[in-house]
Amino acid sequence: MDRWSIMTGNAQAPCLTAPDGPDGAPSPVAIPTTAAPVAAVATALAADAIALPDQVGAVIPDTAIPGAAIPGTAAGESGGQAGAAPAALSLEHASIAYGRVPVLHGVHGVLHPGRTLALIGPNGAGKSTLIKAVLGLVPVVDGLITVLGRPPGAARREVAYVPQADTLDPDFPISVGQVVLMGRYRGIGWIRRPGRADRAAAQAALEAVGLAHRARDRFGTLSGGQRQRVLLARAIAAQPRLLLLDEPFNGVDVVSQDALLAALSTLTAAGTAVVVSTHDLALAQLISDEVCLLSGRQITFGPPAEALTAEPLRAAYGGAALEIDGRGVVVTRV
Amino acid sequence: MALLDSLGDGYTRRALLEVLIVGTLCGAVGVHVVLRRLSFLTMAMTHATFPGVVIASLIGMNLVLGAGLFGVLLVSAVALLTGTPGHSAGTGPGGAGPGGAGRAGTGGRDVSTVTGVVLSGGFALGVALMSARDGSNRDLSAFLVGSVLTVQESDLVVSGVTAVVVLAALVALRKELLLGAFDPTALTAAGYPSRWLGLVLLLLVEAAVVTSLPAVGTIMAVALVVGPAATARLWCSRTSTMTAVSIAVAVVCGVVGLAVSEQWDVAAGGAIVLTLATALVLSLALAPRGGLSGAPAARIAAATHRG
Repeated sequence: MDRWSIMTGNAQAPCLTAPDGPDGAPSPVAIPTTAAPVAAVATALAADAIALPDQVGAVIPDTAIPGAAIPGTAAGESGGQAGAAPAALSLEHASIAYGRVPVLHGVHGVLHPGRTLALIGPNGAGKSTLIKAVLGLVPVVDGLITVLGRPPGAARREVAYVPQADTLDPDFPISVGQVVLMGRYRGIGWIRRPGRADRAAAQAALEAVGLAHRARDRFGTLSGGQRQRVLLARAIAAQPRLLLLDEPFNGVDVVSQDALLAALSTLTAAGTAVVVSTHDLALAQLISDEVCLLSGRQITFGPPAEALTAEPLRAAYGGAALEIDGRGVVVTRV
Repeated sequence: MALLDSLGDGYTRRALLEVLIVGTLCGAVGVHVVLRRLSFLTMAMTHATFPGVVIASLIGMNLVLGAGLFGVLLVSAVALLTGTPGHSAGTGPGGAGPGGAGRAGTGGRDVSTVTGVVLSGGFALGVALMSARDGSNRDLSAFLVGSVLTVQESDLVVSGVTAVVVLAALVALRKELLLGAFDPTALTAAGYPSRWLGLVLLLLVEAAVVTSLPAVGTIMAVALVVGPAATARLWCSRTSTMTAVSIAVAVVCGVVGLAVSEQWDVAAGGAIVLTLATALVLSLALAPRGGLSGAPAARIAAATHRG
């Protein structure tokens, strides 16, 4: 990828003082509660990357405070028994391997219901691998991964997975509505046909991503961003407690990105835990409560204000992480 | 027409019935073969069932049954060697990227390479066995190119029962098969036994292939499975309509091929496959999607093999 991912965070002292964005937009409050502010900030970020450090500096308190309430490390130590409800996802010194080739090791942290975890790292860092391990598609060779209090494979009915839209065949003869209805298949069970409730849920999920009017179109006729929204709608239709998204913002236009962010914030407000891998550090800063920085191993796991700072980013990206003026970090050549 | 004139003959009526049954069966199964890009594997399966026919002939059992049993062995062998084809849950290092359907290589065991060897190996075994066998090989060479006009009532019964079972399975599993064809990773991620589903699909394809042997023979059976579905895919934007069109194309081409065979006294199997090929080529030229400008070779590849 040759796009530039831009982020802030500050090695010395987080810059928390500038609440005004590039267009004088008021600083957003309480990101997960409403859809609109998230979308607005996302647009503003995309519109003016240079002003980012100030802009994101304004965001940091919102994401850092809920993150601080449940420190990743402390909750991680107690594993799946943190608090009354089981953690949505608990990683305990997990190592993952394809056959005998270790791909990722030392992953450690916890994600609670209604929170968002961003997986960050260069290509080949193990982001997709970690998602597959949580799905139970790739074995955990050391340590432990617990999904909704159970082993990875055992929780699949309550976990939904959103692949990258461009991994699917755009020529496949299938309608948008049919794709979304697939999210209901597991609940419908073998042999039986989708019922009225299933169709209503699929339609509602499609509305949640703003594509209800495209239900009858062929999947492949939609743009990349719209296809990504359809796949998110499919996951929403499954009503998961844990949602995993693999690079959902890659090659997605601003309109679709806003729609994705709005739908995600509705989900987290309803208590769904979200894991999202992304190259976009600014976006990760914006939407996540926890960040897991990976590069073949876990560099750090914690609130974005701590994880997305110069030192850990240099550890993950090497020379591609450039500090600007002591105020922020830009990562080139993701 | 010669076909209508000869309808009074029992063999013509049986041939027509066989073409209807096999057309329906192969048209329906072919949709899944084309959508999952298993055309090449299907071709290997058709060729490699040939030794089953020879062995059945040697030990004196029903030839179709022999081909079927050998086919089951073969499918299991391919599934063991490569992991179930069409099931790409990204369990290999290559799966971490956009691996996509049909590229489920595990540890360098490329599916198409293994399939290619199985194809020629199976066929060679059949040829070797046949050459070692004394006496007339007439009934066996009929299995190579098919002879729908000599179909027996027992063949019709086998075809009918197979068709009913396979179509019932396709209807019962249509949700899961659709999801598995469209997004195999999501199928596994949702907790479905995707490996078993892939194996079941291979067995259904094998059943269709073996059933079509008496009509078109081992060499051309793949055309009957893949041709109608590849043609239908060019015209349809829904899997359901694609299935209906595929069945219609298979049946119509079968009947037209039979009529051509009767009219001009050419081999029925060849005439049927030629009709199917004509339908596909015409569709490639005329179908709206992709336009006329696309290179025909690329579009054929897109419609059938897909890697």
